[in-house]
Amino acid sequence: MSALSDPREAASFRFVRCGYADGVAELAYAFDDGPELIERIRFPDAPALPEARRGAFDAALRLLHFVAGISYYKAGVPPRIVVDGAAPDADTAELLDTLYLHGLAEFAYRNGLDLRERIAFPRDGAAPSPAVPLDLPRRTLVPIGGGKDSLVAIEAIKAVGGEATAVWVGNSPLIAHCAERTGLPMLNIGRELSSVLFDYNRMGAWNGHIPVTAVNSAILAVAAILYGFDGIAFANERSASAATLEYEGQEVNHQWSKGFDFECRLHDWLHRHVAADLDYFSLLRPFAELAVTRAFARLGGDYFDAFSSCNRNFRILGPKPADRWCGQCPKCHFVFLALAPFLPKPRLMGIFGRNLLDDESQRAGFDALMEYQDHKPFECVGEGAEARAAMYALSQRPEWREDALVARFADEILPQLDATELALEPWLDAADAHRIPSRLAGALDEIRGA
Amino acid sequence: MNEVVSTLPVDAPWVVMKFGGTSVASAERWGNIRELVAARRDEGSRVLLVVSALAGVTDALKTLCAEDAAEVRVAAAKAIATRHHELAAVMGIALPDTVQSRLADLSALAKNGPDAADPLAWKALVQGHGELLSSALGAAFLTAQGLATQWVDSRDCLRAVSLPNQNARTRTLSATVDAQPDAALAERLAGQGDVFIAQGFIARDEDGRCVLLGRGGSDTSASCFGAVLKAARVEIWTDVAGMFSANPRQVPSARLLRQLDYEEAQEIATTGAKVLHPRCLSPLRAPRVPLWIKDTNRPDMEGTEIGPLVREAAPSVKAISTRAGITLVSMESVGMWQQVGFLAEVFDAFRRHGISVDLIGSAETNVTVSLDPTENLLDSDAVAALAADLAKVCRVKVIAPCAAVTLVGRGMRSMLHQLSSVLAEFGQLRVHMISQSSNNLNLTFVVDEDVVDDLLPRLHELLVRAGSLRSDDSQLFGPSWQALYGSGEQDIAPAWWRGERARLLQLAAERSPRYVYHLPTVQARIDGLKNLRAVDHVHYAIKANPHARILQAVAASGFGLECVSPGELAAAKAAAPEAPRLFTPNFARRDDYAAALDDGATVTLDALHPLEHWGELFAGRSIMLRVDLGRGLGHHEKVRTGGSGSKFGLPLDQLDRFLELARTHDVRVQGLHAHLGSGILDAGHWGEVYAQLATLAERIGSVEILNIGGGLGVPSHPGEQPLDLDALDRVLGEVKAAYPQYRLWMEPGRYLVAECGALLTRVTQDKRKGGHHYLGVDAGMHNLIRPALYEAWHEIVNLSRLDDEATALYQVVGPICETGDVLGNDRRLPVSEEGDVMLIAQAGAYGAVMASNYNLRETADEIVIE
Repeated sequence: MSALSDPREAASFRFVRCGYADGVAELAYAFDDGPELIERIRFPDAPALPEARRGAFDAALRLLHFVAGISYYKAGVPPRIVVDGAAPDADTAELLDTLYLHGLAEFAYRNGLDLRERIAFPRDGAAPSPAVPLDLPRRTLVPIGGGKDSLVAIEAIKAVGGEATAVWVGNSPLIAHCAERTGLPMLNIGRELSSVLFDYNRMGAWNGHIPVTAVNSAILAVAAILYGFDGIAFANERSASAATLEYEGQEVNHQWSKGFDFECRLHDWLHRHVAADLDYFSLLRPFAELAVTRAFARLGGDYFDAFSSCNRNFRILGPKPADRWCGQCPKCHFVFLALAPFLPKPRLMGIFGRNLLDDESQRAGFDALMEYQDHKPFECVGEGAEARAAMYALSQRPEWREDALVARFADEILPQLDATELALEPWLDAADAHRIPSRLAGALDEIRGA
Repeated sequence: MNEVVSTLPVDAPWVVMKFGGTSVASAERWGNIRELVAARRDEGSRVLLVVSALAGVTDALKTLCAEDAAEVRVAAAKAIATRHHELAAVMGIALPDTVQSRLADLSALAKNGPDAADPLAWKALVQGHGELLSSALGAAFLTAQGLATQWVDSRDCLRAVSLPNQNARTRTLSATVDAQPDAALAERLAGQGDVFIAQGFIARDEDGRCVLLGRGGSDTSASCFGAVLKAARVEIWTDVAGMFSANPRQVPSARLLRQLDYEEAQEIATTGAKVLHPRCLSPLRAPRVPLWIKDTNRPDMEGTEIGPLVREAAPSVKAISTRAGITLVSMESVGMWQQVGFLAEVFDAFRRHGISVDLIGSAETNVTVSLDPTENLLDSDAVAALAADLAKVCRVKVIAPCAAVTLVGRGMRSMLHQLSSVLAEFGQLRVHMISQSSNNLNLTFVVDEDVVDDLLPRLHELLVRAGSLRSDDSQLFGPSWQALYGSGEQDIAPAWWRGERARLLQLAAERSPRYVYHLPTVQARIDGLKNLRAVDHVHYAIKANPHARILQAVAASGFGLECVSPGELAAAKAAAPEAPRLFTPNFARRDDYAAALDDGATVTLDALHPLEHWGELFAGRSIMLRVDLGRGLGHHEKVRTGGSGSKFGLPLDQLDRFLELARTHDVRVQGLHAHLGSGILDAGHWGEVYAQLATLAERIGSVEILNIGGGLGVPSHPGEQPLDLDALDRVLGEVKAAYPQYRLWMEPGRYLVAECGALLTRVTQDKRKGGHHYLGVDAGMHNLIRPALYEAWHEIVNLSRLDDEATALYQVVGPICETGDVLGNDRRLPVSEEGDVMLIAQAGAYGAVMASNYNLRETADEIVIE
């Protein structure tokens, strides 16, 4: 075993190898000649891989190796990226360069780094022949996160009679609990990060946000080929495409890998390199957050005491709202605000166990959501204009308008806004841009409430 | 009809015994009923049994009523018949004709369906069959077992009356019985036998129809029978011994209430307790019939007795209860009282939207009402519509989610002065409304709902400590729920000093006052903590007691030493140079940190200042960071070390800035630490701190250690349960399983040493003044300041007269010229005399170390015994 040295001093990051056997994918990386960082992905009850899908599987696994490497790469961000063995082709390298650059934009901003000169995947590998249809079973993998979005997506698919499996990566009792409530078949994929990464972190390695949706997407692409699914339906909204801020000429979007740009890039890449009939898409792409919260308010009754969008990682579940909602983070703030126009107030209180809008100490949190005197938080939350529309709606409602932060909005912020841009209704419409396959088109009407 | 078998005199007292659905659903439980009834009969009482339907049968009958298809209803009736056939078979009796014919009636009712003219009467009659069947079966079984039992039709005894605010539905399905003593009925029955069985839940109305008594119906039937027969008492037999001083699910240490008057019991039942339906008490009030709640599994145990008699006793809070999910509507209007009809208009809006109001508070310009969480409130736009209507006439604010916390006890207003610590607790919260009923039975605080789960156990404890809930009065308070139904009372070993009396008397004779420390007791506490598998490392907080022998004992067990000053570091180093030292100061000088770093101690920071101004001092070092999780706990305000009111810890909103500074100065945050307070006896608390620290640590890559502090409580009051170390290990183990990557540290102080120490002192003088009887001792607040500083309670005994009866009530005071020099208030002790040796227990922590020379009096010396 080589001695550990600071990855920030390394000259190169190496993609060492990847393999798959007996339901476990093994992904190996290293900084220079340092110890191998080995990540393992466990696919439970993995079936034998049909020979016809072998090529597709290998392509998906290779992509996963490249994508999952981002967790390790960021520990040192060395000047050179090295791929041991066959280099990616230009098309793949282009996808990876884009992903690493945009997916790590927040990380770079927060750590004061410029990655533009550093991220360059080798691109001289031979282009493979275009992927063909694999006649994959017509069923959908739906990643479930325990929040409102995936539950809306799942209920919409159920409503149009689609066959689906709820899938999640890693151990989360909250997600498992929500997944059980859906009544769908469940698939829980295990992910084990290399412990060497934690050793590096303790040495002071670079740390910060990574585009985890991209990693999960790549894992699900492998799963779709392995288990046989022709669709991977994420639940990312329209607002995910909006940048959080701009920094030295580069857009920084916390949710970049949940945005439409990445969705299109991966969708197309999978069609070209893995299987022409594997659709990667987001079912909620046409919708703003408010349309989704409205849909959730309508159908979520069975989930009200189980779901949580809070970004605190609740590993130990309890019966109280405070066991699911921290009440302090931007996600709590946003979901509270976005559900408020669509639920009876006592019901919303039952979900959160407290009234965040009648709490002066939460002022800065809600200001950031509305992009008032602050930028949008680095979180998966709706657009500022959307938050302002929800707040405006509440300020017009007698049962809300005396609550501390609603009253303050009306007194202090509203006079500075253009009232014609505060209507709620435009946010409830669906946009056209999406990659949803035709067999699930009906699900859009379900969400819209048509 | 059975032969008349009346063996008791005609004026023998009546006892009404009620058994619920679970008790009558199995042959075995019927065997218990037989024994209990026979015992009452053998004591000379005439018994009337009131029974519910077999468990599940009333629900089945309700479902039957809701079916439209006759064949489905008939099938349902058949299934119910089968249950009774099966039970009879297990009872070893043939299904009696009385049951057969009831089953036939039920089948016919099911087949025919509701009578179009009066569908409600059909419904009541069908649902009433559960009790008709169970009572008939019971009569046959008891008689067959040799206890001749007469079947009585409740409808011939209980008469429902119609009340002005009732509609047809409530008149039939939730009827009210006017239960007046009926001597003729009692006499007639007395001529028929000794034991009777009747049905709960049913009665007959003025038109001769069978009607139901609604929720809690069988209990109400029993108390109506109690009133009609003017019984000696009504016994409600159930699976719990009675009412408790709080909901045991929230407060496991809640105590069984032995005696309540009707009004108190009704108040407790209304504000939360589920064991008794509040409406079942009113029939008993006028005829002054007592009601006992009894546990079927512990028939000999005294449960709750509810009666008219208020025994002579000091006023006491009897219970605290909570109701959650409450919404407040606050209405503000200038000069509202001057406008005729304003309130009528306001309340009419509530009526129109189908919303009923519970509490009401009013001021010159404001009326605030509380609403319970009904479906109407949660699932319709009723609140929005109501608010819109109200907004036309006043300023309205909808405040939610709230919870009502109610203290119940007769004479509440006379107890207010004892509630200061309780009110101080509320002082930290947002209290939206306070309501004190004019009948002086309750005091209700409406607060934010999310505080209640933490608040309730704490309030219960504060009430006990403040002497407002007189748990020491065994006439009023029985065992704790934990002792009866939980894991049971833990065995509490007698205090060590009971076995060392002769030696201690000798030591006190040599010199007084003096501290004595018992090392085997320290070792026992050390061993307890070593058994915590989840904890990787313990540091002893030496501020509790830095005596060299204790430090050596702790260090020899592998614990580290936690120090808060250069002096403590030096003491630790001198006593146990090899033990790891953890330096956790607060507002210390720069030099203190420098010295600690030189000393090789692990240093904890809890503010931005050291990194902002002395960053170079810590460059290249690993440190621990103490955070403030935003709330504090503990037995007194002055020992609470978390929350914005305390000076400890880095507030979480400065965490990012701290980490930035750490990075700038190349300082590695190797661990996170939080410590919320002292004297905490609830194991769950550390699990929460641990989990919260773990979620924070996940954002900081360098963290390896989580230090959840100390604060492990030591029970002091009689009846208080010690901290359950097994439960603590379980709770910590759960969190550890979720976050295995972190090592867990704890830093107990008082827990390890409090019980090992005793302060010996001798009686100096005795004086009566006003209502008080003072007992002077030669130790005072200069020796032991905890009672004066924290209102801490230390057990005090007269060691010279340990076995004498405690008949005197003393204020135990010291010689210091301060009114606050009181070591114990209102202590029951044997009559004590000058020179007697008194022992003040649990003085091993924060005793000698906090001593002073105030009044230029000498400090006590310290003796260590093995």
